[in-house]
Parts: sequence; C-alpha cells; structure tokens
Amino acid sequence: MATRLQFENNCEVGVFSKLTNAYCLVAIGGSESFYSIFETELADVIPVVKTSIGGTRIIGRLCAGNKNGLLVPHTTTDQELQHLRNSLPDSVVVQRIEERLSALGNCIACNDHVALAHTDLDRETEELIADVLGVEVFRQTIAGNILVGSYCALTNRGGLVHPHTSIEDLDELSTLLQVPLVAGTVNRGSEVIAAGMTVNDWTAFCGSDTTATELSVIESVFKLREAQPSAIVDKMRKSLIDSYV
Amino acid sequence: MAPTAKRPRRKLVARPVTFSPFARSAAHIASAYMIKRQMIENKLHEFCQLTPNGECKCNDKRNIDETESDSDGESSEGVVQADFAFFDPKPDDFHGVKTLLQTFLDNKEWNLSGFVDLILEQTTVGTVAKLEDDDDDGLFSVVTALNLGRYKDHKCMKELEDYVLSVCHESNLVDQLRVLFSKKARDVGLLVSQRVVNLPAQLLPPLYDALFDEVSWAVEDEPTEQLRNSFRFKTYLIVTKIYMHKKANGKLGEKADSEEEPVIYVKAEDELFHELKNYVSMGLVMAVEADKIPTFRKQLRSLIDDEP
Repeated sequence: MATRLQFENNCEVGVFSKLTNAYCLVAIGGSESFYSIFETELADVIPVVKTSIGGTRIIGRLCAGNKNGLLVPHTTTDQELQHLRNSLPDSVVVQRIEERLSALGNCIACNDHVALAHTDLDRETEELIADVLGVEVFRQTIAGNILVGSYCALTNRGGLVHPHTSIEDLDELSTLLQVPLVAGTVNRGSEVIAAGMTVNDWTAFCGSDTTATELSVIESVFKLREAQPSAIVDKMRKSLIDSYV
Repeated sequence: MAPTAKRPRRKLVARPVTFSPFARSAAHIASAYMIKRQMIENKLHEFCQLTPNGECKCNDKRNIDETESDSDGESSEGVVQADFAFFDPKPDDFHGVKTLLQTFLDNKEWNLSGFVDLILEQTTVGTVAKLEDDDDDGLFSVVTALNLGRYKDHKCMKELEDYVLSVCHESNLVDQLRVLFSKKARDVGLLVSQRVVNLPAQLLPPLYDALFDEVSWAVEDEPTEQLRNSFRFKTYLIVTKIYMHKKANGKLGEKADSEEEPVIYVKAEDELFHELKNYVSMGLVMAVEADKIPTFRKQLRSLIDDEP
C-alpha cells in the first residue's frame, strides 16, 4: 500500500528516509507524525532506525542499501556508524566507503539482486557494492542522466524511472534489471523520482503532493496492492531464475 | 539571511546573494541573460504597458556603472538584462508558487498545497511574475488577494487563522483579529505577496498596480453578484516578516545605538503599509483599510523612483 506524507512541510520524503526490505532509516528532527506513519506501517516487520549521516538529515540521498547491506559515505561519523551497526539486524553489513562521489543514494539505485551505478564511480566502489550488497552492478544512465540513484526507484518487483526515458531505454533497462519498468512522475510532476518517494517490496511512501494518478501508477508497477511482507518471493527467486541473459 | 530592505541607497546590481535552492536557480536564469558590460553611468529605464488581454508588461533594462573593466571579459559584476512579464496564475505554476510560500507561516506544518491551489484557481485576481520568454517557467513573484469569507471553509484557511491567532502576543489585538476572521471575514482580503530575494524594486509599483487594478475590475466584471461583492474589500490582511531590533522600544532614542532602526522590513512596501495606520502588528500581521490603497500606490511609486 502506498502512503502519502510530508517531512516538515516538504514533500521530498525520499531525501529524509531510506526504505529496504530489511530495515528503514529515517532522519532525526522531523515531527512525530512523520515517524508514526512509518512505524504504523512497519513496526512489527522491520526496524525503523532514526539516524543522521555526517550530521545531516538528507540520509536517503547519502546512503545506498538493500536487505544485505548498507553503504554509507566517508562523511559518516564513527558514532553514526556505530549506531547503525547496533540498530540494524546482524544480517545487514554496514560499510563506510571512501568515494569521491559521496552522495551514494544519488549515484546508486539497487534492489536485492541488481544495482545501477553512476558511470564515474570508482572501480573499488563498484566491487564493494557487488560484495556488500550482493548484487550485480551495471553502469548506466537514465534518460541521459548519470545520477541513476535520483531518477529511478527500484524494488524486486518493479521500477519507476524518469518520465523522459525513451521506450528503447526502458526496454534495455528492464532487460538488465529483470523487473517491469514504467516512466512516471511523483509529487505532482516532479522528475526526481527517488527524492520524492521511498519504496520496498510491500509498501511505499510518497510525498503528499503526489496525485491520485501517480499513486495508482506506483501501486501498479511496484505491485503493492496485493503485497504482503514476505521473504518467500525473494528466496524462491534464486531457484526460479538461473542466470541473467 | 542578510536584511536587505533598508529604504535608501539600494544598489541596482542584481547580485543575488541567496541561499535557497530556488533562488540559486533563479540567479542562474538571471545570469544566463548577461550580455556585455558597459561603461555608462546608471540609467534606469522602465516601461509599463497594458496589453489588450490585460497583462501588464514591464520592460526592465539597466546599465550598471563599471569602475574598472577587465580585459579578460569575465567578472562577477556585469550587465544583467531581464524582461519580466506578468501573467494570470495557471495550474502549472504550482511548484513555483509553493516554493515562494514555503515560509509563509514560519515552520508550521499546514496544508500549503491546498492554499496554493486556491491562489491558482482564482485567475481573475492574482498575478505571477516570470521572465518573458523563459522556457524553464521560473517564477519570480506572486501577488494575490483572497477573500477570507469566500474561502472560510477550506482547511488551509482555518489552519492559517488558527496560527495567526495563536502567535499574536498582544491580547487586546487578538480579539480584533478574531473579529476580522469571523464577522468581518466577507470584507477582508488576505494579501499574499512573495517574491525572490533581490527582485528588482522597479517591478513593485506595476506589480501592486496590477493587483489592485484587477480587484477593481473584478468588482465590475465578475459574472455573479456574490463574486462581485467578494472583491469589495474593506480591509486587507497582510502576513509578513520583519526584523525587530532586540532592544526596540518603539522609538528612536538618541543613544549610541540609535543609528539602528527599530524595525527592518524585509519587503520595502511593508513599511509603507505600516505607516498607513489602522494596523495590527505581530510578526507582522497588518490590516490595512482598503481606502488607503491609492495613497500606498502613490507612495510606492515615489519610493522606488527616488532610489538612486
């Protein structure tokens, strides 16, 4: 189910939160209603962790992660790193990486199996992504934009990309990622998809300006209407799909 | 944010020193019009014409005095030519207007989107200022007047009323305000005027002229009697920001710190509104009688034209 909310009058909820299948990070300093909406949806299933990264609240754009791990930039302080390691489940590996492009959330779009990376990312970073997150990494652009993490929201069941993505690009990306993709907008026409919403396999949170049309597109492409928090689909996937073409 | 609205001697160089992302992009648009630097003294040239469909076009060309010229050609001072045009509010302007009104009620979480929708729906009274041929559709300023009684039932207006009443520190004025919001609401217009920091002051007289002209046209032209009456404002309510001196006691003493003014107005025209009497000041909320408006327009014009 998709929920609409705001962070301090700001509809860019993907900037202030990060949602995966194993955990949810939210920024500190927001109003209680912001947390309570997350906690109502997620409390029994996955931990909701309040944190900052490098003293900032834009955690959604600074870190990248999935159920296997979390990558944080070099600006993360030791205390924040320790707090994350303590609060997240043991199965999640938290790794701080030295990378010039420190807004990892803008540079990396990933689900539990595959990741799209900024074309200028270091080779070491690419290997770390593959190791820590347990994914296959592809350097790609989306509608000519190199900030793939910003213009694409990706889960194991579907993806939403920048509205100006061409059909050929959509087909190519869909083949790479092995999920259905749709070009659309969020927050009443905003093209920066990942900043305006955050999503995992069974729930999505969008900015409150998102129109009903946009919300229905989101619910259909991410298959949220009949979704349940379950790991079955994930675990079975490996046995169902032998290899990527 | 540096207080910029001291009345005299404001430089005409549009050097946007701003910190918000929207203003940065506005500065980017403005600098994209930089053509060439010239060594002429200050010349101020302004046309304001009314086109047949009621738009007010304001041509704003300025040549800035250069004291030195770089042979390299690139420097931070230069000529910025910009043609601004005024339009009726359209639904596409949603994001621009919303950004401008982000801090309208300080940090309160309220239904800002609904408020912006109200402004955009009222196409008869209300103006947005944009660059003339801009494909990016960057919005620089919005002015409008919303009748409190007409929109009384909207959630955003109720939240606005609650907030304004709750932050009023002067208890004797709270009651007057409450009356404005309830019994007199049909005759009160909420004057919303926001613009990017450092928008050229030359735009202000035509902008306010456009608004008050539209109000008087609406009184004549609106299709139904009810709508016509809804624009017969007796009072305008203004919610705005000022900088009040920490030791302000309401008068300029002759002590050492008397050079500092007790109140600095972020927007120059607020000072004029403040002096036109009959106000309730709070952070600052002013109620101005509608028949003082022509005086305001004249004073604004002379204020802007007098500036070097």
